[in-house]
Amino acid sequence: METQAEIEFQSAVSAFSAAHNEPDWLRDLRLTMLAKYPALALPVFEKIKYQRWPLTDVHEPAVQDSSAIDLSSLDLDYAEAKNVLVTVGESVIATRLDPALAAQGVIFTDLFTAVREHPDLVQKYFMTTAIKPDANRLAAFNTAFVNGGAFLYVPKGVTVKDPIQGYYIQDSTRTQDFIQHVLVVAETNSQVTYSENYATVGEQANLANVIVEVVAADDAHVRFSAVDQLSKATTGYVSRQGNLANDAKLDWAVGMMNDGNVVVDFNTDLVGHGAHAEVKVVAVTTGEQLQGIDTRVTNLGQHTVGHILQHGVILESSALIFNGVGHIVKGARGSDAQQESRVLMLSTHARGDANPILLIDENDVTAGHAASVGRVNEEQMYYLMSRGIDKKRAERLVIRGFLGNVLTEIPTKRVRDQLTATIERKLENGQKSE
Amino acid sequence: MSKLEVKNLHVAVVDEDKGLQKEILKGVNLTMNTGEIHAIMGPNGTGKSTLSQAIMGNPAYKVTEGDVLLNGKSLLDLPVDERARAGLFLAMQYPAEIAGVTNVEFMRAAINARRADDDQIPVLEFMKFLDKNLDILDMTDDMVERYLNEGFSGGEKKRNEILQLMMIQPKFAILDEIDSGLDIDALKVVSKGVNSMRGAEFGSLIITHYQRLLNYIVPDTVHVMMDGRIVESGGPELAEKLEAEGYAGVRDDLGLDVKLTDEI
Repeated sequence: METQAEIEFQSAVSAFSAAHNEPDWLRDLRLTMLAKYPALALPVFEKIKYQRWPLTDVHEPAVQDSSAIDLSSLDLDYAEAKNVLVTVGESVIATRLDPALAAQGVIFTDLFTAVREHPDLVQKYFMTTAIKPDANRLAAFNTAFVNGGAFLYVPKGVTVKDPIQGYYIQDSTRTQDFIQHVLVVAETNSQVTYSENYATVGEQANLANVIVEVVAADDAHVRFSAVDQLSKATTGYVSRQGNLANDAKLDWAVGMMNDGNVVVDFNTDLVGHGAHAEVKVVAVTTGEQLQGIDTRVTNLGQHTVGHILQHGVILESSALIFNGVGHIVKGARGSDAQQESRVLMLSTHARGDANPILLIDENDVTAGHAASVGRVNEEQMYYLMSRGIDKKRAERLVIRGFLGNVLTEIPTKRVRDQLTATIERKLENGQKSE
Repeated sequence: MSKLEVKNLHVAVVDEDKGLQKEILKGVNLTMNTGEIHAIMGPNGTGKSTLSQAIMGNPAYKVTEGDVLLNGKSLLDLPVDERARAGLFLAMQYPAEIAGVTNVEFMRAAINARRADDDQIPVLEFMKFLDKNLDILDMTDDMVERYLNEGFSGGEKKRNEILQLMMIQPKFAILDEIDSGLDIDALKVVSKGVNSMRGAEFGSLIITHYQRLLNYIVPDTVHVMMDGRIVESGGPELAEKLEAEGYAGVRDDLGLDVKLTDEI
């Protein structure tokens, strides 16, 4: 006989959903996943041990207002951006979309507004294509408790020239879970450049669970860049999932600049014939933190191309793990899977790992990998220092060069400059104890 | 006026494969003042580049005896960046390439490294000075926006070394085979850059195989180096004698027992 006992937080989740006027389908999906998530397995990533992290120590969901939080410490610069969304906690503090784009049917809004105004469209793509809600415990957890995020929709044949920019700020001025879901849909033959930024304000220890889905239909081209800089006190799970149809192209450029423990689940499925993904990741770790980054591309369709390039720098007693997983399934003839993961260690206490994993189940393919863990190039250091630049600054310049091939891929100058500044800040902090 | 002195300098390099230490410089003596241009000529494998790297402070070269002094103070305990800020500059034979760092930001960082934090060079002043020097060297603006030496041709790299020299304005510049791989037009341009630096507050040590460069940058003193020592010094006419007689001729004149690397 079925038990009638209420599942923990069931009524709180229902009330939270009702407070945001969510459609029934989302409330029901939340409740299903609430019941399901504890029994689902955690995702497994080679060499990344995060199983004991408090990633599901959830607090009772409640509507919270963060609109008055002081953001001056974050140095956000979105005054000039034409298409921008800024959220803090659950509060939306800025939202702009070029009216010309809106007239073409482009949607860019926070997730709560999206599910109210476009319930069917969101439902069609929300955890249906790029990832399933019960794919693992952390995905189901996200579905049950999601309390922020965005929806970007580019209709068929529409080219968005100016970048679309999202800033998602975690409110850690108090105890509050940061559970975000961003859904990007690029319809057939559309083009869009999207940049996103995660940051924390406040010192409280909180969990973060971020899922980003990118669905690219036939011939769509999405340029995606992200800078993640969650705080030291934040323990995070960040999942970015891409799904590409025929001849779709997705360029990822992601900077993992978090200060706390973060596990990254980065996956792209090349489903359609001729789909192409370029995945570029840079990471800097400092202090005692661990960033474990699992980057996977699966070639399912024929003549698909998946390239992974990851460069990371490790300072102090921190640890950085790069897994690069290239998987070509049987039947994906004529496909190409290439990857390169390189890690620079600046301290003898640092730990780093670059694991190339190629899983090839088809003969008619090309595949390759390169991986290294090394130290700063002495010749470059000598050259810079011979011009009077001190050791630490020279080191930062060499590192910037090392990370440069990802930085140059970031399409908007503002985001690029911001990432450069973030790297500089993180390196300076990390060098203090050297 | 500043003075650079090299006293009885012995330098060894460690052969990583064999783990053996090999002595390259066997007691070099050299004194130069600002306002003077010195040239060091010598056959291949004689220690000219080793001398330049040892003065600059390349950690791969080990000083086993002797001293290098700037205005009477030993430089040997100073790392390369401090020697640079003290006034030394080395235009390298093989400059490193660094992607992700633009030429212009590198030069600004180098200039600012010599200034206090609250006295960094104003952008406009820097750009004006840069434009002036680019003009002298016939270089285009896009060269400075490119990544440091990345994808530069041999000639572009040499030009870029001289551009840095002109921007940084050291007391003493060592030019290590700045003429290698340059055609005659590039050689003239590079020489023009170096000559523009000439003055009471600038001294240069020019290392070269060939007399040709010295037609364009006329030295005050020429030194001949063989087998890790300076074996003869003289005026510019010494370079011409070398050109006419070859290194073997000079060696035989001096009655030295030295085997030249490239001798037939």
